[in-house]
Amino acid sequence: MWSMRKWSFKYVNWRLTTAYPGGLKYAIKHPFELIKDICKYLIWCQRIDKDLDKHA
Amino acid sequence: MLKVKLKNIEFNSPIIAASGTYGYGDEFGSFVDLKKIGCIITKSITIEERTGNPSPRIYESDSGMINSIGLANMGVQNFCKLKLSKLNKIETNFIVSVAGSKIQDYLDVVSEIEKFNGNHIGYEINVSCPNVKKGGMEFGLNKDITQKLTLELRKITNKLLIIKLSPNVSNIEEIGLSAENGGADAISAVNTFSGLAIDYKTGNMILSTKYGGVSGPPIKPLALAKIHKLYTQISIPIIGMGGIVTFKDIIEFIRVGSAMVQIGTLNFRDPSLINTLYDDLELFLIKDKITSISELIGNYNDN
Repeated sequence: MWSMRKWSFKYVNWRLTTAYPGGLKYAIKHPFELIKDICKYLIWCQRIDKDLDKHA
Repeated sequence: MLKVKLKNIEFNSPIIAASGTYGYGDEFGSFVDLKKIGCIITKSITIEERTGNPSPRIYESDSGMINSIGLANMGVQNFCKLKLSKLNKIETNFIVSVAGSKIQDYLDVVSEIEKFNGNHIGYEINVSCPNVKKGGMEFGLNKDITQKLTLELRKITNKLLIIKLSPNVSNIEEIGLSAENGGADAISAVNTFSGLAIDYKTGNMILSTKYGGVSGPPIKPLALAKIHKLYTQISIPIIGMGGIVTFKDIIEFIRVGSAMVQIGTLNFRDPSLINTLYDDLELFLIKDKITSISELIGNYNDN
């Protein structure tokens, strides 16, 4: 999560548009779906980081 | 050292941010050093605005990703009005990705963009999107349509024309050759592989569209094989992609014949990692006393 501190609002907004039809509006209307997806994403990031460490 | 050329256009590095993974290209200037990126390819632009497929449309698989976004984008009119002038100011090259469901759609999008004063160096023609009901990948599966589309596009632009190929074909070389014969300047290979995710307990399909495009490290060996096949058959440059996460992967892609590479799924982990790849690649070349990355193109040994 530390690496995400620099992400701009513009970028986060684009990520939401990529994930959901309707982007930010959809995310606000479906907060549980958003939280679930963020958790899944963070687990995925950890997996990717492990792979990166292995190949470093 | 890392500078490369494609059709007399100089790039700061062989590393390109892949379409669909780097927004429209103007979202990153505040936290990524764009000078270390050879080029950014925008999200695919279609004639009309699209919201894409229903949610869920992204699934994080083991070390990779399956997506079925469905070409969500603001449409060519909005892109030209809202984005092109901002992109003109970014500190690297940019290419506009174009998608459509029939040949005329592609021609209309390119013609519209050509009317504006864009500093874009070219177009990447997405004939390989597996996530739309109509068009998209259908073009990339047929060599005659690919050639016709490339020929028609060549007539309306002198800018760099890159055809992005699907790996979901038995003979990718044939499609690559038809793009070359149509007048393409380069080939991007490969787009995502068709895939599916299912919940083992409930039996529910995970993506709303059932099928999606698999990307990330799991596809790297498959992508390398497709690129090598293309390299032995076509003479225009290849922009390789498919699961690159380290500088070692970049060198592997270049050794099998890529002139440049695209980074995709890794950008979803952290878009600034693309800068780390540049630094690592530069360090490798210094350590191994390689004066230019281009020396490594197609530099492999047959067993």
